[in-house]
Amino acid sequence: MIFVLPYLLIFLAFRILPAFGGLGLSLSDYSLTGDISWVGGDNFERLFGDDLFWNALRVTIVYSVIAVPLVVVVSLFMAHLASRSIRGIKVYRAAFFLPVITSLVTTAVIWQWIYSSEGPLNWFLGVFGVGPVPWLASSIAVLPSLAVVAMWSRFGYDMLILMAGMLDIPQDYYEAASLDGANAWQRFRHITLPGLRRPLFFVVILEIVSSFQVFDLIYVMTGGGPVTASYSLVFMIYDQGFGYFNFGYASAAGVVLLVITLIVSAIQRLYLKDDD
Amino acid sequence: MTDTAMRPTHPPRRRRPWWRTASAHLPLIIVAMITLFPFFVMLVISVQPGQAIDLPRSLWPQSWDFSEFGRLLSRGEMTTWIINTAIYAVVSVVLVLALASMAAYAFAKLSFPGRNVVFLVMVAMLMVPYHLTLIPKFILISELGGLNTHWGLILPTIANVQALFLMRQFIAGIPNELIEAARIDGAGELRIFWQIILPQTKPILATLGVFVFLWHWNDFLWPLVANTASAKYTLTVGLSSLNEEQTSLAVTMAGALITFVPIFIIFLIMQRYFVRGVTMSGIK
Repeated sequence: MIFVLPYLLIFLAFRILPAFGGLGLSLSDYSLTGDISWVGGDNFERLFGDDLFWNALRVTIVYSVIAVPLVVVVSLFMAHLASRSIRGIKVYRAAFFLPVITSLVTTAVIWQWIYSSEGPLNWFLGVFGVGPVPWLASSIAVLPSLAVVAMWSRFGYDMLILMAGMLDIPQDYYEAASLDGANAWQRFRHITLPGLRRPLFFVVILEIVSSFQVFDLIYVMTGGGPVTASYSLVFMIYDQGFGYFNFGYASAAGVVLLVITLIVSAIQRLYLKDDD
Repeated sequence: MTDTAMRPTHPPRRRRPWWRTASAHLPLIIVAMITLFPFFVMLVISVQPGQAIDLPRSLWPQSWDFSEFGRLLSRGEMTTWIINTAIYAVVSVVLVLALASMAAYAFAKLSFPGRNVVFLVMVAMLMVPYHLTLIPKFILISELGGLNTHWGLILPTIANVQALFLMRQFIAGIPNELIEAARIDGAGELRIFWQIILPQTKPILATLGVFVFLWHWNDFLWPLVANTASAKYTLTVGLSSLNEEQTSLAVTMAGALITFVPIFIIFLIMQRYFVRGVTMSGIK
């Protein structure tokens, strides 16, 4: 009992209590003086009538629809590329992993300049007479631009998971397919992909969760802008909570995030059940 | 030469022609260069303080001027941020590993009332998004007087569920005979934990340790809301404020590099633990 007690106490205080606290706050009004008053469904009523909330939901979904396939496809391609056994492959793999260990604030600061009007990307396009493109300042380009940064910072992680999955596929399958005259694409399509079902599914779930919770990049690079073009749901929770100190209202947005998370994990369960 | 001659059954491996080697490396080199470009940019801009950016010349600095690093570090703030971050990361690693390994031993090998119920509650809590708990956590720490303190920053982060699950799985694999034998010899639970369980878990402790360190070193949202006094910033929050001040691009890039280098050094030393940690999370 002594062994679990310290862990459980901290867990109770800073995980279980705040979870119920969040639910409670979403139904109340919390003033900075510390007074809490019960307001029932008022926060949700206001939330569902607020354009800012529907915009945040739309931004979050559009961002995920761009970012998740981008990260997964690039990771898959990179896993394929980095699973070759050639001299020095470990050095390449280490290079691909470097963005993963880099803090998102560092990442955001560098990419903010890369995307800026005087930055290297627009300079490069300028050589061909294109641009300058307002990567972060245009409401159309901002979400794809952020998704590319997320891709850069995350593919190294997913790549390693998929590579481990590729190593589990018996080499005989490939040899047999080669003898039957299958080309590289056919081998990838009919052996690698089916063999990777589980790790691939894991990576997709991981990316959905992470793209729904994107915050650091938005905070540093766009502040939710231009106007509200990158004002995501999690950014809304932060902004309403710590920008305006509307703790109750922000918690109501947090409850919506909880509901979305529950739906995603229910789908995940259904899918896994089908699998067994 | 003599080596191959002595083993006639194995035909000497034919060397790949150079163009085969080159074409195998080429795509990897191109992708690696694109991946590393942002790091390169961070470095070259940070060593050209006080100069107007002029592409492409700025990408190839005429001289390497590290004075911005000296100025940042001597301004005091940056040094404080490094110390704050180091305290946050190192103390958290020790506490996370201590709490998680003890609890994991109990969950894996001991029986106590309500064990299964508690475990189910933990799994359920994984579903609750971090961001919903952020505000109540902030209010709690604020009521306890922990805003802008080290302990207030550290305390809410040390009951790590992922660490507990991984440790539990690992400790469950340690043979019961080992523990029984020690018990027959009259060892108490504390001694069994310290002398039998912990030594066995060394590899997983190292793997978890580097990841917990990485999470805390790079953590942003919690330090951002919990420590708002600039003397209490961690590096990520400080870097974000440097970026907002927009003093100069070289200063921001130098700050970014200072934030990156410690984690980079740890990565170079502990690389295999990082790789092991990732693949472990994928297998589950």
